[in-house]
Amino acid sequence: MITIKGAKDGLQVQIDQTADWDAILSALRTQFEHGGSSFFAGARLTLDIGNRRVDEQQLADVLQLMEHYGMRPGSLLTTEGDSRAVARAAGLVTRAASRQNNNTRNEHDAEDGMLLVRTVRSGQVIRYHGNVTLIGDVNPGAEVIAGGSVVVWGRLRGMVHAGALGRAEALICALELRPTQLRIASLIARTPDDGASSVPEVARVQGDHIIVEVWEAYRRTRADT
Amino acid sequence: MARVITVTSGKGGVGKTTTTANLGTALARYGARVALIDADIGLRNLDVVMGLENRIVYDLVDVIEGRARVRQALIKDKRLPEMYLMPAAQTRDKDAVNAEDMIALANEMHTDFDYILIDSPAGIESGFRNAIACANEVLIVTTPEVPSVRDADRVVGLVEASEKGPPRLIINRIKPRLVSRGEMLSVDEVVEILAIEPIGVVPEDEVILSSTNRGEAAVFNAQSIAGRAFDDIARRLRGEEVPFMDMSEQPGVLERWFGGLFRRRAKA
Ligand SMILES: Nc1ncnc2c1ncn2[C@@H]1O[C@H](COP(=O)(O)OP(=O)(O)OP(=O)(O)O)[C@@H](O)[C@H]1O
Ligand SMILES: [Mg+2]
Repeated sequence: MITIKGAKDGLQVQIDQTADWDAILSALRTQFEHGGSSFFAGARLTLDIGNRRVDEQQLADVLQLMEHYGMRPGSLLTTEGDSRAVARAAGLVTRAASRQNNNTRNEHDAEDGMLLVRTVRSGQVIRYHGNVTLIGDVNPGAEVIAGGSVVVWGRLRGMVHAGALGRAEALICALELRPTQLRIASLIARTPDDGASSVPEVARVQGDHIIVEVWEAYRRTRADT
Repeated sequence: MARVITVTSGKGGVGKTTTTANLGTALARYGARVALIDADIGLRNLDVVMGLENRIVYDLVDVIEGRARVRQALIKDKRLPEMYLMPAAQTRDKDAVNAEDMIALANEMHTDFDYILIDSPAGIESGFRNAIACANEVLIVTTPEVPSVRDADRVVGLVEASEKGPPRLIINRIKPRLVSRGEMLSVDEVVEILAIEPIGVVPEDEVILSSTNRGEAAVFNAQSIAGRAFDDIARRLRGEEVPFMDMSEQPGVLERWFGGLFRRRAKA
């Protein structure tokens, strides 16, 4: 019913064009709740309603929901003239964009991937609905928040949240895992104060803990299964 | 055409004003025509460090608001005839200036100087943005302390986003003895985190204090180790290849940036 995507300047939420509006609102609420604080809070959100027609009240409801979960409403994508007028009246930027296909994709989006070659610096946030591969460092004070797994080919010293939309199978791998904090799905762990090793490591959820093991050990457990 | 170089930092009190004064003075001693602009509106400082406070008639805001022409506001240095200072306003706040004003000012001064050095205020607010708006090069000053490096990293990100080209790094107030005892971040560690090219490493030096109080840059003092480090940076800005000072306790970084890399590439 709804699909969430990482976009260049924030997140994009695509809304089913025919489903009942109340059902959509509750789907959104569930999704925002799932994302916990980090995936959505602070993000700039673009709402794509396709050819739907929304009235003032419907738009106000969704905006209120977004604000409640800490999002900044960015713009509204719609091909529908009345919806555009309503959105403009509410102070949103509107763009006319038609969808490639009428249906929102869903299940496979978590398999989408993004490759970045850069240093993610203090104060910068990378948000993406799928898997993130970063060639470079995540510095202290930086955040990477992904719906899927996060691979850092470099030093991870900032905060990474994998599986931020609820996937507990998500992994976090880094050549040097020395984060201020790790999150997978709804679990949070911080690095023990006795420092970290400088061999590649993998963090994953086991039971209701996040465990970290060196890559070689993780690889052996994989081989067994 | 002048090279417009902004000196900035993120965290306050790490040595931007000291750096601007010393680099400007060193460049002017090599015969360059230098203008220093104090962009720290409301907290002006550079004039004091340069010992020119008592000659101020007009300031930056007077120029921007049309009460004075650039030439009237520029103060000639006491010792170096090719160096001038544009002082900041002391009694105004930073909203008196915007980015377009700074760009227009730099454009007007372009032809009269070889270097325009801009002393930026601390922080990442409008004052900082104004100070980098007209720059074509950015130098980021940090001390080897965790909060200072963290803020420098933030600023590196903002400078990169502004598409000025990669900023270069000055690590100030290094105390070799503390580094060797593991009590201070080493140059290596700082460079590793920030991943930008270092253009200089300046040691802690008491002469900075006394020369600041006298209003005379440390580069005039041949005994000052920090003065020599600033002089080296000025020469690197001019395009000379100057080996990094041997602060014996920490040899690694120069190898990595200037030795190791080249050597390995040459082999391939
Ligand atoms: N290498 C050094 N050795 C000793 N003292 C230094 C050194 N560099 C700077 N200082 C001292 O540190 C203090 C702060 O320096 P300075 O005013 O240049 O920093 P700043 O970054 O311009 O500060 P602000 O953010 O307030 O503008 C001054 O007292 C200065 O004398
Ligand atoms: Mg200063």
